[in-house]
Amino acid sequence: MNPSMRVSSLPLWRRPWVLNSAVTVASVAACLLLLPSRIPGMQLLGVSPHWLLIWVVAWSIRRTQWEAAIAGLVLGLLQDAMTSPDPTHTLSLIVVGVLTARLQKQRYMQEDIVSVALIVFAMAVIAETVLALQISFHQLISMDSLYPPLGKIWLFHQRIALSSAILSSLWAPALYYPLNRWWDRYSLKS
Amino acid sequence: MFALRRWWTRHALKAGMVTLAVSSAWLLRASDGALIYETYHWVTRPLQAGLSREQQFENSYILELQQRIVELENQNRALQTLEAYEDTITAEGLRATVIGRGADHWWQHAILNRGSRSGVAVGYVVTGPGGLVGRVVAVSPSTSRVLLVSDPTSRVGAKVSRSRAMGVVRGQANNRVVMEFFEKLPDVNAGDVIVTSSYSRLFPRDIPLGRIESIDLTKSPAPEAVIQLSSPLPVLEWAVIHPFAPQETIDAPVLPGTDPQNGLVPDGDGAGL
Repeated sequence: MNPSMRVSSLPLWRRPWVLNSAVTVASVAACLLLLPSRIPGMQLLGVSPHWLLIWVVAWSIRRTQWEAAIAGLVLGLLQDAMTSPDPTHTLSLIVVGVLTARLQKQRYMQEDIVSVALIVFAMAVIAETVLALQISFHQLISMDSLYPPLGKIWLFHQRIALSSAILSSLWAPALYYPLNRWWDRYSLKS
Repeated sequence: MFALRRWWTRHALKAGMVTLAVSSAWLLRASDGALIYETYHWVTRPLQAGLSREQQFENSYILELQQRIVELENQNRALQTLEAYEDTITAEGLRATVIGRGADHWWQHAILNRGSRSGVAVGYVVTGPGGLVGRVVAVSPSTSRVLLVSDPTSRVGAKVSRSRAMGVVRGQANNRVVMEFFEKLPDVNAGDVIVTSSYSRLFPRDIPLGRIESIDLTKSPAPEAVIQLSSPLPVLEWAVIHPFAPQETIDAPVLPGTDPQNGLVPDGDGAGL
Protein backbone atom coordinates (compact mmCIF):
# COMPACT_ATOMS: atom_id res chain seq x y z
CA MET A 1 0.00 0.00 0.00
CA ASN A 2 2.98 2.25 -0.15
CA PRO A 3 1.90 5.26 -2.21
CA SER A 4 5.33 5.62 -3.76
CA MET A 5 4.96 2.20 -5.42
CA ARG A 6 1.77 3.05 -7.22
CA VAL A 7 2.90 6.38 -8.52
CA SER A 8 6.52 5.56 -9.21
CA SER A 9 6.01 6.52 -12.84
CA LEU A 10 5.69 10.16 -11.80
CA PRO A 11 8.82 12.29 -11.61
CA LEU A 12 10.18 12.48 -8.08
CA TRP A 13 9.06 16.01 -7.31
CA ARG A 14 5.42 15.25 -8.23
CA ARG A 15 5.01 12.19 -6.06
CA PRO A 16 2.51 12.83 -3.27
CA TRP A 17 4.83 12.06 -0.40
CA VAL A 18 7.50 14.40 -1.74
CA LEU A 19 4.94 17.17 -2.18
CA ASN A 20 3.53 16.51 1.26
CA SER A 21 6.94 16.61 2.93
CA ALA A 22 7.78 19.79 1.05
CA VAL A 23 4.57 21.49 2.20
CA THR A 24 5.11 20.31 5.78
CA VAL A 25 8.72 21.48 5.89
CA ALA A 26 7.78 24.80 4.26
CA SER A 27 5.07 25.40 6.87
CA VAL A 28 7.56 24.76 9.67
CA ALA A 29 10.04 27.12 8.02
CA ALA A 30 7.34 29.79 7.74
CA CYS A 31 6.56 29.40 11.45
CA LEU A 32 10.26 29.68 12.32
CA LEU A 33 10.60 32.87 10.30
CA LEU A 34 7.50 34.34 11.94
CA LEU A 35 8.89 33.74 15.45
CA PRO A 36 11.40 36.63 15.68
CA SER A 37 9.19 39.10 13.84
CA ARG A 38 6.93 41.44 15.75
CA ILE A 39 4.35 42.48 13.21
CA PRO A 40 2.03 45.27 14.44
CA GLY A 41 -1.29 43.77 15.58
CA MET A 42 0.37 40.45 16.30
CA GLN A 43 1.69 41.29 19.74
CA LEU A 44 0.29 41.79 23.19
CA LEU A 45 2.49 43.08 26.04
CA GLY A 46 5.55 42.34 23.91
CA VAL A 47 4.47 38.73 23.41
CA SER A 48 3.69 37.33 19.97
CA PRO A 49 1.78 34.16 19.00
CA HIS A 50 3.60 30.89 19.66
CA TRP A 51 3.60 29.67 16.06
CA LEU A 52 5.46 26.44 16.73
CA LEU A 53 2.91 25.48 19.37
CA ILE A 54 0.05 26.11 16.95
CA TRP A 55 1.86 23.93 14.42
CA VAL A 56 2.38 21.11 16.91
CA VAL A 57 -1.30 21.21 17.89
CA ALA A 58 -2.42 21.22 14.25
CA TRP A 59 -0.11 18.26 13.54
CA SER A 60 -1.04 16.24 16.62
CA ILE A 61 -4.82 16.57 16.49
CA ARG A 62 -5.27 13.58 14.19
CA ARG A 63 -2.07 11.67 14.72
CA THR A 64 -0.70 9.17 17.19
CA GLN A 65 1.15 10.10 20.35
CA TRP A 66 4.48 8.98 18.90
CA GLU A 67 4.16 11.13 15.83
CA ALA A 68 3.13 14.05 18.04
CA ALA A 69 6.09 13.52 20.36
CA ILE A 70 8.56 13.42 17.45
CA ALA A 71 7.10 16.63 16.03
CA GLY A 72 7.39 18.23 19.46
CA LEU A 73 11.01 17.11 19.76
CA VAL A 74 12.01 18.43 16.31
CA LEU A 75 10.27 21.78 16.71
CA GLY A 76 11.55 22.12 20.26
CA LEU A 77 15.11 21.61 19.04
CA LEU A 78 14.52 24.24 16.36
CA GLN A 79 13.26 26.74 18.90
CA ASP A 80 16.22 25.93 21.15
CA ALA A 81 18.43 26.77 18.18
CA MET A 82 16.83 30.16 17.90
CA THR A 83 16.88 31.08 21.58
CA SER A 84 18.92 29.17 24.09
CA PRO A 85 18.99 25.46 24.89
CA ASP A 86 18.55 26.03 28.61
CA PRO A 87 15.68 25.74 29.56
CA THR A 88 14.82 23.49 26.64
CA HIS A 89 11.65 23.97 24.62
CA THR A 90 11.58 20.32 23.51
CA LEU A 91 9.95 19.26 26.76
CA SER A 92 7.05 21.70 26.59
CA LEU A 93 6.34 20.99 22.91
CA ILE A 94 6.49 17.22 23.43
CA VAL A 95 4.04 17.52 26.32
CA VAL A 96 1.75 19.65 24.15
CA GLY A 97 1.92 17.20 21.25
CA VAL A 98 1.24 14.10 23.35
CA LEU A 99 -1.62 15.73 25.27
CA THR A 100 -3.23 16.96 22.05
CA ALA A 101 -2.92 13.51 20.48
CA ARG A 102 -4.43 11.91 23.58
CA LEU A 103 -7.44 14.22 23.58
CA GLN A 104 -9.19 11.94 21.06
CA LYS A 105 -10.96 14.90 19.65
CA GLN A 106 -13.13 12.94 17.25
CA ARG A 107 -14.83 11.30 20.21
CA TYR A 108 -15.41 14.19 22.57
CA MET A 109 -15.36 17.35 20.53
CA GLN A 110 -16.48 18.53 17.16
CA GLU A 111 -13.73 19.32 14.77
CA ASP A 112 -14.10 22.99 14.11
CA ILE A 113 -12.04 26.09 14.36
CA VAL A 114 -13.44 27.13 17.74
CA SER A 115 -12.47 23.89 19.44
CA VAL A 116 -8.99 24.08 17.89
CA ALA A 117 -8.67 27.61 19.26
CA LEU A 118 -9.70 26.32 22.69
CA ILE A 119 -7.17 23.50 22.57
CA VAL A 120 -4.42 25.94 21.55
CA PHE A 121 -5.40 28.23 24.44
CA ALA A 122 -5.04 25.43 26.99
CA MET A 123 -1.86 24.07 25.41
CA ALA A 124 -0.20 27.50 25.37
CA VAL A 125 -0.79 27.80 29.11
CA ILE A 126 0.57 24.26 29.62
CA ALA A 127 3.67 24.91 27.48
CA GLU A 128 4.58 28.09 29.37
CA THR A 129 3.95 26.29 32.66
CA VAL A 130 6.36 23.51 31.69
CA LEU A 131 9.01 26.13 30.89
CA ALA A 132 8.35 27.98 34.14
CA LEU A 133 8.62 24.70 36.07
CA GLN A 134 11.96 23.98 34.41
CA ILE A 135 13.23 27.44 35.30
CA SER A 136 12.00 27.11 38.90
CA PHE A 137 13.64 23.70 39.19
CA HIS A 138 16.90 25.09 37.86
CA GLN A 139 16.66 28.00 40.27
CA LEU A 140 16.08 25.66 43.19
CA ILE A 141 18.88 23.16 42.55
CA SER A 142 21.73 25.42 41.47
CA MET A 143 23.16 28.01 43.81
CA ASP A 144 24.49 30.47 41.26
CA SER A 145 21.43 30.45 39.06
CA LEU A 146 21.00 33.56 36.93
CA TYR A 147 17.24 33.29 37.06
CA PRO A 148 15.19 35.60 39.25
CA PRO A 149 13.57 34.37 42.49
CA LEU A 150 10.57 32.06 42.30
CA GLY A 151 7.99 34.76 42.96
CA LYS A 152 9.21 36.76 39.97
CA ILE A 153 9.28 33.69 37.71
CA TRP A 154 5.64 32.91 38.39
CA LEU A 155 4.73 36.56 37.97
CA PHE A 156 6.33 36.48 34.49
CA HIS A 157 4.60 33.19 33.88
CA GLN A 158 1.16 34.69 34.52
CA ARG A 159 1.72 37.52 32.11
CA ILE A 160 3.43 35.44 29.42
CA ALA A 161 1.05 32.49 29.59
CA LEU A 162 -2.06 34.62 29.40
CA SER A 163 -0.99 36.84 26.52
CA SER A 164 0.58 33.96 24.62
CA ALA A 165 -2.56 31.85 25.06
CA ILE A 166 -4.90 34.61 23.90
CA LEU A 167 -2.79 35.53 20.86
CA SER A 168 -1.99 31.95 19.86
CA SER A 169 -5.59 30.84 20.05
CA LEU A 170 -6.69 33.82 17.97
CA TRP A 171 -4.10 33.10 15.28
CA ALA A 172 -4.44 29.31 15.44
CA PRO A 173 -7.06 29.00 12.64
CA ALA A 174 -4.79 30.90 10.25
CA LEU A 175 -2.31 28.03 10.43
CA TYR A 176 -4.55 25.11 11.34
CA TYR A 177 -7.09 25.55 8.55
CA PRO A 178 -4.80 25.48 5.47
CA LEU A 179 -2.49 22.83 6.95
CA ASN A 180 -5.34 20.55 7.86
CA ARG A 181 -6.95 20.97 4.46
CA TRP A 182 -3.68 19.96 2.84
CA TRP A 183 -3.16 16.89 5.03
CA ASP A 184 -6.77 15.87 4.41
CA ARG A 185 -6.25 16.04 0.68
CA TYR A 186 -3.01 14.12 0.92
CA SER A 187 -4.52 11.31 2.98
CA LEU A 188 -7.44 11.08 0.54
CA LYS A 189 -5.03 10.79 -2.37
CA SER A 190 -2.96 8.05 -0.84
CA MET B 1 15.30 -11.39 11.02
CA PHE B 2 12.41 -11.71 8.64
CA ALA B 3 10.21 -9.60 10.90
CA LEU B 4 12.89 -6.96 11.00
CA ARG B 5 13.13 -6.97 7.23
CA ARG B 6 9.37 -6.72 6.83
CA TRP B 7 9.31 -3.85 9.27
CA TRP B 8 12.06 -2.16 7.26
CA THR B 9 10.30 -2.53 3.91
CA ARG B 10 7.14 -1.13 5.42
CA HIS B 11 8.57 1.68 7.50
CA ALA B 12 11.83 2.55 5.76
CA LEU B 13 10.49 5.83 4.43
CA LYS B 14 8.96 6.85 7.73
CA ALA B 15 12.07 5.96 9.72
CA GLY B 16 14.23 7.82 7.25
CA MET B 17 12.03 10.90 7.51
CA VAL B 18 12.09 10.87 11.31
CA THR B 19 15.87 10.46 11.41
CA LEU B 20 16.29 13.24 8.88
CA ALA B 21 13.98 15.60 10.77
CA VAL B 22 15.54 14.98 14.18
CA SER B 23 19.13 15.11 12.93
CA SER B 24 18.61 18.29 10.92
CA ALA B 25 16.88 19.95 13.87
CA TRP B 26 19.82 18.89 16.06
CA LEU B 27 22.32 20.27 13.55
CA LEU B 28 20.47 23.59 13.47
CA ARG B 29 20.52 23.67 17.23
CA ALA B 30 24.23 22.94 17.32
CA SER B 31 24.83 25.88 14.99
CA ASP B 32 22.69 28.22 17.14
CA GLY B 33 20.08 28.48 14.42
CA ALA B 34 22.44 30.37 12.12
CA LEU B 35 20.72 29.05 9.01
CA ILE B 36 17.28 30.17 10.24
CA TYR B 37 18.49 33.64 11.07
CA GLU B 38 20.31 33.89 7.73
CA THR B 39 17.06 33.02 5.96
CA TYR B 40 15.18 35.46 8.17
CA HIS B 41 17.69 38.14 7.23
CA TRP B 42 17.22 37.57 3.50
CA VAL B 43 13.44 37.22 3.70
CA THR B 44 12.96 40.42 5.70
CA ARG B 45 15.51 42.30 3.64
CA PRO B 46 12.92 44.28 1.63
CA LEU B 47 11.28 45.29 4.90
CA GLN B 48 14.48 46.64 6.40
CA ALA B 49 13.63 49.99 4.94
CA GLY B 50 15.88 52.96 4.58
CA LEU B 51 15.47 56.11 6.60
CA SER B 52 12.50 58.42 6.41
CA ARG B 53 12.98 62.17 6.00
CA GLU B 54 12.24 62.74 9.67
CA GLN B 55 14.80 60.14 10.68
CA GLN B 56 17.37 61.72 8.42
CA PHE B 57 16.90 65.06 10.18
CA GLU B 58 17.08 63.32 13.51
CA ASN B 59 20.20 61.49 12.44
CA SER B 60 21.93 64.65 11.37
CA TYR B 61 21.04 66.14 14.75
CA ILE B 62 22.49 63.07 16.43
CA LEU B 63 25.57 63.36 14.26
CA GLU B 64 25.99 66.95 15.37
CA LEU B 65 25.73 65.91 18.99
CA GLN B 66 28.18 63.08 18.40
CA GLN B 67 30.65 65.47 16.86
CA ARG B 68 30.32 67.74 19.85
CA ILE B 69 30.96 64.75 22.08
CA VAL B 70 34.05 63.90 20.08
CA GLU B 71 35.25 67.44 20.51
CA LEU B 72 34.55 67.34 24.23
CA GLU B 73 36.26 63.99 24.53
CA ASN B 74 39.29 65.36 22.79
CA GLN B 75 39.40 68.31 25.14
CA ASN B 76 38.89 65.96 28.03
CA ARG B 77 41.75 63.78 26.85
CA ALA B 78 44.00 66.79 26.47
CA LEU B 79 43.17 67.76 30.03
CA GLN B 80 43.68 64.25 31.24
CA THR B 81 47.15 64.00 29.75
CA LEU B 82 48.11 66.68 32.27
CA GLU B 83 47.55 64.02 34.91
CA ALA B 84 48.41 60.38 34.43
CA TYR B 85 44.83 59.25 33.97
CA GLU B 86 43.82 56.02 32.34
CA ASP B 87 41.81 56.96 29.30
CA THR B 88 38.93 54.98 27.96
CA ILE B 89 39.17 54.34 24.28
CA THR B 90 35.97 55.31 22.53
CA ALA B 91 36.11 53.32 19.33
CA GLU B 92 33.80 53.76 16.38
CA GLY B 93 30.91 51.37 16.55
CA LEU B 94 29.13 49.48 13.83
CA ARG B 95 25.57 50.59 13.13
CA ALA B 96 22.97 47.87 12.80
CA THR B 97 19.21 47.68 12.35
CA VAL B 98 17.01 45.67 14.69
CA ILE B 99 15.29 43.14 12.41
CA GLY B 100 13.72 40.81 14.94
CA ARG B 101 13.01 39.98 18.54
CA GLY B 102 13.36 36.95 20.76
CA ALA B 103 11.91 33.75 19.33
CA ASP B 104 10.12 32.86 22.53
CA HIS B 105 8.52 34.69 25.39
CA TRP B 106 10.98 34.10 28.18
CA TRP B 107 14.06 35.59 26.59
CA GLN B 108 14.54 39.25 25.81
CA HIS B 109 16.57 39.07 22.64
CA ALA B 110 17.00 41.35 19.66
CA ILE B 111 18.22 40.30 16.21
CA LEU B 112 20.55 42.76 14.46
CA ASN B 113 21.37 42.72 10.77
CA ARG B 114 25.16 42.64 11.16
CA GLY B 115 27.04 39.44 11.79
CA SER B 116 30.42 37.80 11.62
CA ARG B 117 30.88 39.01 8.04
CA SER B 118 30.93 42.57 9.39
CA GLY B 119 33.34 41.51 12.11
CA VAL B 120 30.86 41.10 14.96
CA ALA B 121 31.81 38.50 17.57
CA VAL B 122 30.21 37.10 20.69
CA GLY B 123 30.72 39.37 23.68
CA TYR B 124 30.56 42.64 21.77
CA VAL B 125 28.60 45.36 23.51
CA VAL B 126 25.53 46.94 21.95
CA THR B 127 24.39 50.47 22.69
CA GLY B 128 21.55 52.43 21.21
CA PRO B 129 19.83 55.77 21.52
CA GLY B 130 19.67 56.23 25.27
CA GLY B 131 22.58 54.07 26.34
CA LEU B 132 23.28 50.42 26.98
CA VAL B 133 21.17 47.87 25.09
CA GLY B 134 22.87 44.54 25.74
CA ARG B 135 25.58 42.25 24.47
CA VAL B 136 25.98 39.87 21.57
CA VAL B 137 25.43 36.23 22.55
CA ALA B 138 25.38 34.53 19.12
CA VAL B 139 26.36 35.47 15.58
CA SER B 140 25.61 34.11 12.13
CA PRO B 141 27.26 35.46 8.95
CA SER B 142 24.83 38.35 8.62
CA THR B 143 22.86 38.53 11.84
CA SER B 144 23.69 38.71 15.50
CA ARG B 145 21.58 37.94 18.55
CA VAL B 146 21.70 40.38 21.44
CA LEU B 147 20.77 39.57 25.03
CA LEU B 148 19.05 42.76 26.18
CA VAL B 149 19.75 44.25 29.60
CA SER B 150 16.04 43.80 30.34
CA ASP B 151 16.37 40.00 30.20
CA PRO B 152 15.85 38.40 33.61
CA THR B 153 19.15 36.52 33.30
CA SER B 154 21.16 39.59 32.39
CA ARG B 155 23.50 41.06 35.01
CA VAL B 156 25.30 44.37 34.65
CA GLY B 157 27.71 45.85 37.16
CA ALA B 158 26.58 49.44 37.63
CA LYS B 159 27.17 52.49 39.76
CA VAL B 160 25.40 55.69 40.65
CA SER B 161 27.15 58.38 38.65
CA ARG B 162 26.88 61.00 41.40
CA SER B 163 27.91 59.09 44.51
CA ARG B 164 29.77 56.06 43.04
CA ALA B 165 27.51 53.65 44.97
CA MET B 166 28.00 50.25 43.34
CA GLY B 167 25.51 47.54 42.55
CA VAL B 168 24.23 44.96 40.11
CA VAL B 169 21.44 45.62 37.63
CA ARG B 170 19.02 42.78 36.91
CA GLY B 171 16.47 42.70 34.10
CA GLN B 172 12.77 42.28 34.67
CA ALA B 173 11.47 41.60 31.16
CA ASN B 174 10.15 45.15 30.79
CA ASN B 175 11.61 48.61 30.49
CA ARG B 176 12.37 48.84 34.20
CA VAL B 177 15.32 47.07 35.74
CA VAL B 178 16.23 46.51 39.37
CA MET B 179 19.54 47.54 40.88
CA GLU B 180 20.79 45.75 43.98
CA PHE B 181 23.32 47.75 45.94
CA PHE B 182 26.35 46.25 47.61
CA GLU B 183 26.22 48.60 50.58
CA LYS B 184 23.59 48.58 53.28
CA LEU B 185 23.02 52.34 53.14
CA PRO B 186 23.96 53.55 49.66
CA ASP B 187 24.00 57.24 48.87
CA VAL B 188 21.25 57.37 46.23
CA ASN B 189 18.33 59.59 45.36
CA ALA B 190 15.49 59.22 42.94
CA GLY B 191 16.56 60.70 39.61
CA ASP B 192 20.22 59.74 39.93
CA VAL B 193 21.89 58.62 36.71
CA ILE B 194 23.11 54.99 36.58
CA VAL B 195 26.11 54.03 34.43
CA THR B 196 28.00 50.76 34.03
CA SER B 197 30.77 50.37 36.55
CA SER B 198 34.37 49.43 35.99
CA TYR B 199 33.78 46.25 37.99
CA SER B 200 31.58 44.93 35.22
CA ARG B 201 33.35 42.15 33.39
CA LEU B 202 31.03 41.98 30.41
CA PHE B 203 30.58 45.68 29.71
CA PRO B 204 32.94 48.62 29.38
CA ARG B 205 32.54 51.26 32.04
CA ASP B 206 30.62 54.54 31.98
CA ILE B 207 27.87 53.62 29.53
CA PRO B 208 24.62 55.25 30.63
CA LEU B 209 21.83 52.87 31.63
CA GLY B 210 18.99 54.96 33.02
CA ARG B 211 17.68 56.89 35.98
CA ILE B 212 16.53 55.78 39.41
CA GLU B 213 12.77 55.84 39.66
CA SER B 214 12.22 54.60 43.20
CA ILE B 215 14.32 53.24 46.04
CA ASP B 216 13.54 50.55 48.59
CA LEU B 217 16.21 50.73 51.30
CA THR B 218 14.45 48.24 53.57
CA LYS B 219 14.69 45.44 51.04
CA SER B 220 16.53 42.34 52.29
CA PRO B 221 19.23 41.11 51.67
CA ALA B 222 20.31 44.25 49.81
CA PRO B 223 18.68 47.60 49.21
CA GLU B 224 17.12 47.87 45.77
CA ALA B 225 16.25 50.62 43.36
CA VAL B 226 13.97 50.48 40.35
CA ILE B 227 15.61 52.01 37.30
CA GLN B 228 13.86 53.33 34.26
CA LEU B 229 16.03 52.36 31.30
CA SER B 230 16.81 55.32 29.09
CA SER B 231 16.93 53.32 25.85
CA PRO B 232 13.48 52.41 24.55
CA LEU B 233 14.10 48.66 24.26
CA PRO B 234 10.57 47.61 23.16
CA VAL B 235 10.59 50.01 20.20
CA LEU B 236 14.30 49.95 19.44
CA GLU B 237 14.98 50.23 15.71
CA TRP B 238 18.70 50.54 15.42
CA ALA B 239 21.72 50.03 17.60
CA VAL B 240 25.49 50.39 17.55
CA ILE B 241 27.78 47.39 18.09
CA HIS B 242 31.06 48.11 19.86
CA PRO B 243 34.00 45.71 19.87
CA PHE B 244 34.70 44.58 23.40
CA ALA B 245 36.64 41.71 24.90
CA PRO B 246 34.90 40.48 28.06
CA GLN B 247 37.11 40.16 31.12
CA GLU B 248 37.40 36.45 31.77
CA THR B 249 40.01 36.29 34.52
CA ILE B 250 38.30 37.42 37.66
CA ASP B 251 40.35 35.69 40.27
CA ALA B 252 43.37 37.94 40.11
CA PRO B 253 43.44 39.76 43.46
CA VAL B 254 42.95 43.49 43.10
CA LEU B 255 44.56 45.82 45.59
CA PRO B 256 42.95 49.11 46.40
CA GLY B 257 45.11 51.53 44.49
CA THR B 258 45.40 55.23 44.12
CA ASP B 259 42.38 55.41 41.87
CA PRO B 260 39.21 54.34 43.67
CA GLN B 261 37.78 53.19 40.35
CA ASN B 262 40.58 50.87 39.37
CA GLY B 263 42.55 48.92 41.89
CA LEU B 264 46.10 47.93 41.02
CA VAL B 265 46.83 44.35 40.09
CA PRO B 266 49.89 43.19 42.08
CA ASP B 267 51.66 41.76 38.98
CA GLY B 268 52.54 45.28 38.06
CA ASP B 269 51.01 45.35 34.60
CA GLY B 270 49.06 48.42 35.54
CA ALA B 271 45.39 48.58 36.15
CA GLY B 272 43.90 45.29 35.12
CA LEU B 273 40.64 46.63 33.83
